[in-house]
Amino acid sequence: MNDYVLQAEDVAIHYGGVMALDGVSLTLARGQIRGLIGPNGAGKSTVIDAITGRRRLTRGSVHLGGQDVTTLGVVERRARGLSRSFQRTSIFGQMRVRRQVELAAHSMNPQGCVADAEAVLQELELLPRADDVAEDLGYGEQRRLDLALALVGRPTVLLLDEPMAGLSVKESLDLARHLKALTQRWNVSVLLVEHDMDVVFGISDAVTVFELGRVIASGEPAAVRADPRVREAYLGSAA
Amino acid sequence: MTIFRIGLGAACALAVGGAVAALVGSGTVLSLLTQAVVYAVFASGVGLLLKQNGMVSFGHALYFGVSGYAMGIALELGWMPAELAVVATLAAVAVSAFVVGLVIVRVPGVAFSMMTLAIGQMFYLTASRSRGLTGGADGMNVNWPATLFGVPQSLLHQPAVLFLVCWCAMVLVVLGLGLLLRGRFGSVTEAVRDNEERARFIGVRTLLPRAAIYALSATIAALAGMLSVLNTGFISPEALHWSVSGVALMMVVVGGYKALWGPPLGAIVYFLFKDVLGDWASHWMAIFGVALITVIVFSPTGLAGALQRLRRGRPAASAPATRPASAH
Repeated sequence: MNDYVLQAEDVAIHYGGVMALDGVSLTLARGQIRGLIGPNGAGKSTVIDAITGRRRLTRGSVHLGGQDVTTLGVVERRARGLSRSFQRTSIFGQMRVRRQVELAAHSMNPQGCVADAEAVLQELELLPRADDVAEDLGYGEQRRLDLALALVGRPTVLLLDEPMAGLSVKESLDLARHLKALTQRWNVSVLLVEHDMDVVFGISDAVTVFELGRVIASGEPAAVRADPRVREAYLGSAA
Repeated sequence: MTIFRIGLGAACALAVGGAVAALVGSGTVLSLLTQAVVYAVFASGVGLLLKQNGMVSFGHALYFGVSGYAMGIALELGWMPAELAVVATLAAVAVSAFVVGLVIVRVPGVAFSMMTLAIGQMFYLTASRSRGLTGGADGMNVNWPATLFGVPQSLLHQPAVLFLVCWCAMVLVVLGLGLLLRGRFGSVTEAVRDNEERARFIGVRTLLPRAAIYALSATIAALAGMLSVLNTGFISPEALHWSVSGVALMMVVVGGYKALWGPPLGAIVYFLFKDVLGDWASHWMAIFGVALITVIVFSPTGLAGALQRLRRGRPAASAPATRPASAH
């Protein structure tokens, strides 16, 4: 038995003859942040879809806290502490901010959902907009609301699909540092897909590199950065 | 909206209904208003489906008409006391609509609307051709007993009393929905309407709440159908026709579906329009059509939305101007 909160083994997703993922294995230890990098189309978002149950696996298994969740649906996985954000902002446009965050908290912790929502809104600096309708928020605020919907209820595993997309460099780094502090404080393990290399190498405890649906390197950030295959395939000679 | 404001609104609405019943002496006017209020209840059901599920039904006349037929047949065959028939009909519509909802709410957009249309028209044709049971195209009388829930028919059919009964039903429907949608059920259905996939990813099951809203809206339409046959004592296939669903949708659009009191407002405006214009224009629907287009263009949230903006003292268009300052 191991103490991984998340374990994906030999995960494959094939669409007809196209192999979106082909035998991917990765783990997440408690409190760990693992960055997933790779060129567009490498399969990073598909891994998140596979782990959350959005896509059916052709092969392989997903374990959450030691329990096999491969055949469970999205809602059941969320109830077991698996949560995600989306690459394209995915919020409830016509609902008030507080109402939707409380609803998201309810499935994880029905009794304490109001307090949980308040804490997340406070942490992500959304309290001043809590009673506004979500579609009236600015872009950066909507990105943080997307994050709040995933983070509320203190999931054990949080899968973030490009949470900094569209933010300025300074906003990205601020949010990344804040996210790291918060997930450590709340003991949340994170799988982070992100194109911003400064963010990924700045906050990750481990990095996994994808190419054409396969893992080509995995390990501590410094070791991955130094890997010649990674430099050649993705980071380029300037890395 | 706080419970206090919802309660205050309901109390004011009941007071208005009482005042109208007491002050309007003309039986003809009260009869017109009763008909308007029956449709206000019907429009509440159709509006609920649009507000909470984001779905347009062209077939809710099915539930409006079927409840009338169910009452007519149950009373004619003497299966049960009228009071029990009222409760059993509403319960049967709720359960049947929930089962139908489990299938059809999975179908998105226009296809859903077309399915409601198809199911509705199926029952329209069935009722038109089942002469033995429904009287076919001629319709059938609904023979209410001498007393209903302890109230003598002679009293119940006084125009002011009947108006008041329908008005109270309308207020209770809107009040009940207001209270219900304040809670978690309201949050769940709003979330599923806005973004079904994300709703599942925050742990919300999406099918049952949508089917429940469909069933609730159908039951409200059935209640309206029951009030209609209480008012007229007659039911015919025309009540099941898709054009009746279409009229209810027009009321919802004119009144505005975002506020629960929008559809009833639309129904009352529709009937007043019909009465006033109908006196001097045989093609009053053409004029109403122009009014409908005007409302859709200038206030997509209907008359209720326009009134809410007036109360806040500024047009909706000015709201975005304040955003950049507070945006991140």
